[in-house]
Amino acid sequence: MTELTQARTEERIREEAKKALASGEVRAVVGWCATRFDDRTRPFFAETAEECDLLVWNPYCINGTAKFALDDRYPDQKLALILRGCDSRAVNRMLRDKQLKRENLYLIGVVCDGKENPICEECQHKTPLVYDVLIGEPAKEQIYPERFRKIEEFEKLSPDERYAYWAAQYDKCIHCYACRNACPACNCIECYADQYRVGWQGKAADREQNQIYGLTRAFHVGDRCIECGECERVCPMHLPIMRQTRKMLKDINELFGSYEGGLSEEETPALGGFRLDDPDEFM
Amino acid sequence: MARIGVFICHCGTNIASVVDVAKVAEAAKQMSGVAYATDYKYMCSEPGQAMIKAAIEEHHLDRIVIGSCSPRMHELTFRKMLKSTSVNPYMLEIANLREQCAWVHTDREKATQKAINLVQMSVAKVAGNKPLHTSMIPITKRALVIGGGIAGIQAALDIADCGFEVTIVEKEPSIGGHMVMLDKTFPTMDCSACISTPKMVDASAHPNITLKTYCEVESVSGYIGNFEVTIKEKTKYVNHDLCTGCGLCQTKCPTKVTSEFNQGMSKRPAIYIPFAQAVPSKPVIDPNACLKLTKDKCGICEKICPIGAINYKDEVKYTTEQFGAIVVATGYELADWKTMYPEYGSGRYPDVITGLQFERLVNASGPTEGHIIRPSDGKEPKDVVIVKCVGSRDPKKGKTYCSRACCMYSAKHAHQILDKIPNSRVYIFYMDVRTPGKGYEEFYDNTRKDGAQYIRGRVSKIYQEGEKLIVKGEDSLIGRPVTVEADLVILATAMEAAPNVEEVVKKLGISMDKDRWVQEAHPKLGPVETQTSGIFLCGTCQGPKDIPDTVAQASAAAAKVAGILCHDEMETSPMISFVDQTKCSGCGFCVTTCPYKAISLVEVPGRDGNRKVTKTVAQVNEGLCQGCGCCNAACRTGCIDLKGFTNDQILKEVDALCL
Repeated sequence: MTELTQARTEERIREEAKKALASGEVRAVVGWCATRFDDRTRPFFAETAEECDLLVWNPYCINGTAKFALDDRYPDQKLALILRGCDSRAVNRMLRDKQLKRENLYLIGVVCDGKENPICEECQHKTPLVYDVLIGEPAKEQIYPERFRKIEEFEKLSPDERYAYWAAQYDKCIHCYACRNACPACNCIECYADQYRVGWQGKAADREQNQIYGLTRAFHVGDRCIECGECERVCPMHLPIMRQTRKMLKDINELFGSYEGGLSEEETPALGGFRLDDPDEFM
Repeated sequence: MARIGVFICHCGTNIASVVDVAKVAEAAKQMSGVAYATDYKYMCSEPGQAMIKAAIEEHHLDRIVIGSCSPRMHELTFRKMLKSTSVNPYMLEIANLREQCAWVHTDREKATQKAINLVQMSVAKVAGNKPLHTSMIPITKRALVIGGGIAGIQAALDIADCGFEVTIVEKEPSIGGHMVMLDKTFPTMDCSACISTPKMVDASAHPNITLKTYCEVESVSGYIGNFEVTIKEKTKYVNHDLCTGCGLCQTKCPTKVTSEFNQGMSKRPAIYIPFAQAVPSKPVIDPNACLKLTKDKCGICEKICPIGAINYKDEVKYTTEQFGAIVVATGYELADWKTMYPEYGSGRYPDVITGLQFERLVNASGPTEGHIIRPSDGKEPKDVVIVKCVGSRDPKKGKTYCSRACCMYSAKHAHQILDKIPNSRVYIFYMDVRTPGKGYEEFYDNTRKDGAQYIRGRVSKIYQEGEKLIVKGEDSLIGRPVTVEADLVILATAMEAAPNVEEVVKKLGISMDKDRWVQEAHPKLGPVETQTSGIFLCGTCQGPKDIPDTVAQASAAAAKVAGILCHDEMETSPMISFVDQTKCSGCGFCVTTCPYKAISLVEVPGRDGNRKVTKTVAQVNEGLCQGCGCCNAACRTGCIDLKGFTNDQILKEVDALCL
């Protein structure tokens, strides 16, 4: 995107944000604002017209905006979200999981051209899939052929080698739940990991409990993952968390046919529905 | 503190020969919470049960672990026993020491250790058991029979005679099925129509039977005692409430298409009653043939109908009804030999016909009024070849199974030809002659005495030469090729399950075997049951069989249905799932995962911080839940649990084994 269109998009975002707030139905607009670093932005709630002028659009707008909508599950007013393709799939995810109501959202879609975030190279949907107003010309959907390449390579390792790899990863894990907190598919009101039950998920940050957490997390979001990469981005210990959900998605694609999460509000994830003709090759 | 009693069964020598049962009982005494442990030869026997009861009294036991055979075998036995004690029947766990230990191991020491581990797991689990109580649900005293052939009719009549309402759903315009197409039935040679049409009339006149012809089952939900079935009535285009069955429309209809009932050997009009004795004797319009419906021309039947029963704007109707039990009697179809056996001409030669076509040919109400003639030129055949096992017992081209009825009806066809056509010759190519039925062998003997020539061998080729069909085969008894110049060839084609059986099976949630026959629950001890309780089967949907077997099976299925419907209510299992609504996020994945549609989302008042809000949460219908546990696995929050199989109990079992 040239400087000009980037500036023009930013201008349009501010216009639409102001318009949304002016309607009186919207409580705040969630987007990004500048920080004291040139190469960083942070998520920003614009609640007044003046604050709307602080919204920015540049290659460093990398935080997901959608999950902020979950902060208030029973809102009195609408929340407006500035959406990129990945954010729109996150919204679809939470709508499908019945954690958000569409009427409580005002969606300002922006056609994205990739940010300074490695996951953006793998993006297949740069145009938001759900929005009330769209800024920019809808981009052609791209196919990222390398989607499962890393998994295929990883699968070539022996089980012992794979175990050793993950054991080393989970020795690093500090059990901070940042991956869960950032993930739009992790949207339960009370996460299983936060519950106190004897013999349940241990709270200690040791390899055993970290592995149990990692495995459970992968299975909980595996079939609903929207591949936004937030989990990996927020991980302070740089664990390759996406690799687990990608592996799940690869298996789902092989067993149940082509599937991507969050493409629509109506989808039934492979592990979230009962069908008599479900394949059972794994049994 | 729990007071657990552990009872280790020898099962004669079944368990005791591999597992040191005394050692297992001794080890159990050391386990946490175990107040008493012992072993005995047969725990399920009367003295065994008396011993458990006495131990409960003496040692004040409040929960029981029995190390014995599979819980599928005797869990119910022991639950019944506990009903007469102070212990709740669900405070019981079975450690499977027979199927999962003794039967599959030979090393006594290791097997004993495994048995101890299994008991240890059950002890850990039973500590978390809570008393559960069954509830009663009412039974809908109505039965549904799917298929109106002789099997369906017989089952319906028997159920109706027990005093219960029955609905027959038949996809064709008339009930009767295949039996009413046949001419004579072996071995008694009584007229098939003469014995089946009275049953058809009985079924239609019976006060307890409702016929739903030209209908199909659209969807099925619910469970034994309370099935909810949506029935789709296809468009008849004739109002059967008004129609008197005068048949005037049939005579005036200008369109003529191939008759299904006469196996393609005659024509029928587009508005048609399939055959003279049809029940109900009222026509339907074939929408693919009718000029009015395809081209908006003609409309003669509407003009000519004296009571205005014709309705070209008829629409598909759906009705939803409740049933307590279902009988599947969807019957068979003949396998398509034309695609399987190109060497027999693939249908190019009109004088190569199937056994069922011959039945229509020789039938007095058939297209030739019972005269056996060649379909090609109408001449009387003198040399007739019958080829058996066309598609049956042929793993390379057709089915592996034997179609069971062909040996007998081929003998009958030979007898009829020799009887009706003077100086005729009949050659029967066969692999084996199978006549295991009352009077069957005698019938076969008589056919041979009549002059039928049995040639043991398969036919390799049939082709036309002038007026004759040249049949080439091998007489494997003398090891020489045989060539017969025939006027008519009859193929005894294989039976296969009805073409839409997959759909029916899927809707009912039952299963099929590798040959597409509907699967019975047990080949010997559950021959008319399916794996789904409350759904039974009879007739040729289960496998090839002749009329006597079909009728016997239909009555058997009817007895099973009556056995359910004679009760006013039945016990439900209390081992069902429940939702902790305070934790539920209302994502609804349990709803989509539930195979029994037992979970729904409901709105309940709740709190969010200091606000009062309306929350959406899952709720289990206790009548519908079968306790399968799918929802349990689908719930990420872990707020759904299965009573008697809680997550905590399973974790404790795992811990008992691993820690």
